[in-house]
Amino acid sequence: MGTQHDRDLNPNQEHKGKKPHSHGEEKLNGTFVSVMLLGGFILVTWLAILFLYIDRA
Amino acid sequence: MHIHRLEKIWLGIGIAMLFVFLIAIGIGAFAKGDHPPGHHEAIKLDPEKVYETPPFDEPRLEQIGENEYNAYIVAFIYGYNPGNIEIPVGATVHFYVTSADVVHGFAIPGTNVNLMAVPGEVNQLSHTFTEPAEYLLLCNEYCGIGHEFMATTITVKG
Repeated sequence: MGTQHDRDLNPNQEHKGKKPHSHGEEKLNGTFVSVMLLGGFILVTWLAILFLYIDRA
Repeated sequence: MHIHRLEKIWLGIGIAMLFVFLIAIGIGAFAKGDHPPGHHEAIKLDPEKVYETPPFDEPRLEQIGENEYNAYIVAFIYGYNPGNIEIPVGATVHFYVTSADVVHGFAIPGTNVNLMAVPGEVNQLSHTFTEPAEYLLLCNEYCGIGHEFMATTITVKG
């Protein structure tokens, strides 16, 4: 058992724990747009079924 | 702890949706008295005695108003009692449906009438027939070897 380094004791592991590589921040734009498009698709199809239901009543 | 800006937006949308849906359900349930379709009724209906228990001891279409009817229908293997129902156009029918044996479906394609006939339960749904036509009432819940033949008609005259 070695001794823990001061780095490991530091709860604010900005440098070490933020991500495994040393890039800049992850680019999530593509993911975000995709998820919003999917949500939009769900919303639109949901509304279509709602109007069908209302029509049939 | 660092949260990505887009993740914050995503979480915000998620939490907002949660509140919107909870409030919508809350208003529906407490202010409007909504409950799931079917109106689970506290009728103790012994499925083996369905034909002895009113109103299903006399399955029938009963007129209760100007253009308003109650339909007490028992689904069975493989048909509906009463079948071949006739009503005038514009009539509102309150369906009360149960089963004498196994679970059946009770569906009128092209309308919102689509429910299950469950032994021991009475399922209720109302529908206003605004278009004259011959509607198909059919079973859409597998109930046995003759399931695909289980159907009848509702004729809306107008």
